[in-house]
Amino acid sequence: MGKQDINKYKNIWVFAEQRHGKLMPVVVELVGEGRKLAKERNVELNAVLLGENIEEMTKELIAYGVQNVYTADHELLKNYTTDGYTKIISEAIHEYKPEIMLIGATHIGRDLAPRIASRVDTGLTADCTKLEIDPEDGKIKQTRPAFGGNIMATIVCPENRPQMSTVRPGVMDKADVDNSRKGNIVPLNFSIKKEDIRTEVLEIVKSDKEIVSLIDANFIISGGLGLQSPDGFDLLKQLAEKLDGVIGSSRAAVDKGWIDHSHQVGQTGVTVKPNIYFACGISGAIQHLAGMNQSDIIIAINKDPNAPIFSVADYGIVGDLFEVVPQIISQLDSVRG
Amino acid sequence: MIFKKEHLLLQKAVRKFAEEEVQPYAAEREKEGAISRDLMEKLAKYKYTSPIVPKEYGGAGADYTSYVIIMEEISKKCASTGTFTTAAASLVSSPLLNFGTEEQKQKYLTRITSGEAIGAFGLTEPGAGSDASGQTTNAVLVGDNYVLNGRKTFITNAPIADFAIVIAVTERGKGVKGTSAFIVDMNLEGVSCGAHEDKMGIRATETSDLIMENVKVPKENILGKEGQGFKIAMHTLDTGRIGVAAQALGVAQGAMDEAVKYSKERVQFGKSLSKFQDIQFKLANMETKICAVRALLYKTAEMKEAGMSITKESAMCKYMAAEVANEVAYDALQIHGGYGFIKDYPIERIYRDARIMSIYEGTSQVQQMVIAGSLLK
Ligand SMILES: Cc1cc2nc3c(=O)[nH]c(=O)nc-3n(C[C@H](O)[C@H](O)[C@H](O)COP(=O)(O)OP(=O)(O)OC[C@H]3O[C@@H](n4cnc5c(N)ncnc54)[C@H](O)[C@@H]3O)c2cc1C
Ligand SMILES: Cc1cc2nc3c(=O)[nH]c(=O)nc-3n(C[C@H](O)[C@H](O)[C@H](O)COP(=O)(O)OP(=O)(O)OC[C@H]3O[C@@H](n4cnc5c(N)ncnc54)[C@H](O)[C@@H]3O)c2cc1C
Repeated sequence: MGKQDINKYKNIWVFAEQRHGKLMPVVVELVGEGRKLAKERNVELNAVLLGENIEEMTKELIAYGVQNVYTADHELLKNYTTDGYTKIISEAIHEYKPEIMLIGATHIGRDLAPRIASRVDTGLTADCTKLEIDPEDGKIKQTRPAFGGNIMATIVCPENRPQMSTVRPGVMDKADVDNSRKGNIVPLNFSIKKEDIRTEVLEIVKSDKEIVSLIDANFIISGGLGLQSPDGFDLLKQLAEKLDGVIGSSRAAVDKGWIDHSHQVGQTGVTVKPNIYFACGISGAIQHLAGMNQSDIIIAINKDPNAPIFSVADYGIVGDLFEVVPQIISQLDSVRG
Repeated sequence: MIFKKEHLLLQKAVRKFAEEEVQPYAAEREKEGAISRDLMEKLAKYKYTSPIVPKEYGGAGADYTSYVIIMEEISKKCASTGTFTTAAASLVSSPLLNFGTEEQKQKYLTRITSGEAIGAFGLTEPGAGSDASGQTTNAVLVGDNYVLNGRKTFITNAPIADFAIVIAVTERGKGVKGTSAFIVDMNLEGVSCGAHEDKMGIRATETSDLIMENVKVPKENILGKEGQGFKIAMHTLDTGRIGVAAQALGVAQGAMDEAVKYSKERVQFGKSLSKFQDIQFKLANMETKICAVRALLYKTAEMKEAGMSITKESAMCKYMAAEVANEVAYDALQIHGGYGFIKDYPIERIYRDARIMSIYEGTSQVQQMVIAGSLLK
């Protein structure tokens, strides 16, 4: 990396990832976290938003508390492409010199961030779970799990700017909405031609979410024989939708034919380590525990107070899951407004 | 042991039965994952599933030596049929016989001996295998019923059983002294079975979880007294081990027979395999081990018949027979060369069947614990 005059860099930027004209949920988290950091550094929180017909989203960003929204509105930017987005954002960084750049660690974010970092010749920490400003020198301390979560590494980028991080979705607090907030829209000075983009997006297929990715899920809502019938999974799906989670299952439910084997957690299923694991109507046989006891938080709902699942649960609710789960869902609704 | 005439006659009869009825369909039975009802009925009719049950309850009223003979001869031809036989002959019959009330014997034991009913024995749980004291299935007395909740795993015959003898906790905090045994009718509301396990061997026996959800078992279906559950289970396994040891002996002998036959047929380097000294020594080694097991086992059966305690002896039989079955099956397959690895030859099935012998009804390690426990007390 070449030497930079790092004093010229100022302000915090977040990448406002949009898909199909909608901001991704992680953006709201980035803005929430970014505002905290900006306050400590006493700088501005800005966003960079690329797409086509993006005006609505700029208003939304301002309502969340972004001061300046740098925009690039162009039909070639409607869908994400590595080439198009990297070119424009890198040029914007050269021009405006942000000190910190936060990107959500989504599939898009993980593709984009390293390309930008390499192009602007700076450091990038992937998949951060904690960000803090060092009070001594004002640099950002970026913490991320390494070696499958066994080591928490705190990384700084001392000499190059911007300090870039991708941030794990679901970890940071969301920004609040206030429609009275004021901000500026700053169209970027850019040019983009079809030849600049080597990939052509032919079609975006939305999967029915049937491909279960238990391993990547932050929230897993698992059901066992206590669901009584395959319909029980419909209730769990409602909870999963609220949390953007994935449905898991015990082997007993798979054996009954209530759900496909790809959902099975345990010794002969998948081993998972989500932020939160809900075990609903699962007794907690050792073969099941082997697949999920490393979860950050385990919430067990079971009507038997002696069920072994409670020995690994952080939060246990003794009760009928058909009463408890709907209550959790309605509580979630009221918290989120 | 030198067989009495009656034992020789029995041996001849069972051998013929095994050759005619058991062996021809062993491969097919394994493919189907089940034993035919027809065979089950015949096993009951000839009282092979009830050798030690007294005649008054419909059994053969024979001795333990007879039981061992039956198990050995049947298992020689099909280990799955052996498992089915021993489940009825000891796992289910023995607790009913030794701890059941007259009424329970009439109602349940006689249906096992006649073949009208199939039984299962449920002790093992997902979290309680070798350490059978870690039971979580519980039974609470509510009015005239015990309400059972819990899950048993690896239960032989569960999917086809009419009733099961189940161990459950009646008093928490009292450890094994807080367990009781129950006779649970499989058609009671709340009883269900898990999927038929996809096993390595004895594939014709059906093994699954047994799940009880608020199952109301009439008070009179408790077996023995409250608190006796563990005692009943351990007493049952003592006898059960003789049966499994005899099964393992049969498996070893079955493998041996295949090895001898094949070694005489197969020609390499211009001679039959049986002409090579290494093969001869292997066979000699196998035969010696098998005969040692047989001697110990028949002696133990006689001790049991004489009313002596056989806790240590039955553990030694089960341990040694199971290990020998595996060693002999290994060598017998080796003698078959590549052909032994192909399902066309029975040794392939025998080799897989042998593997369970050192695991169920107490692993080899558990047997060693029992033996050492007796030795060092
Ligand atoms: C070879 C093998 C491999 C295995 N691998 C796995 C594996 O990978 N994963 C796995 O999960 N299991 C595995 N098992 C099975 C395991 O041993 C257990 O049988 C299984 O986990 C039990 O599933 P369960 O908890 O859903 O059912 P159960 O043990 O029957 O428990 C159901 C629970 O639901 C509760 N309940 C009932 N109704 C309600 C209600 N209305 N509200 C709240 N609670 C209720 C009950 O109190 C009970 O605790 C394996 C078993 C074998 C033999
Ligand atoms: C086909 C089949 C049929 C069965 N049928 C029945 C049935 O009808 N009824 C029933 O109740 N059960 C049945 N079982 C269960 C069987 O009895 C158990 O599987 C067996 O007792 C071992 O328990 P486990 O599988 O939980 O192994 P574990 O107890 O988990 O043992 C795992 C290993 O650790 C070793 N080990 C455990 N503790 C110790 C120790 N203290 N020191 C040294 N080594 C130790 C064991 O020897 C073994 O090698 C059946 C099992 C199978 C596979």
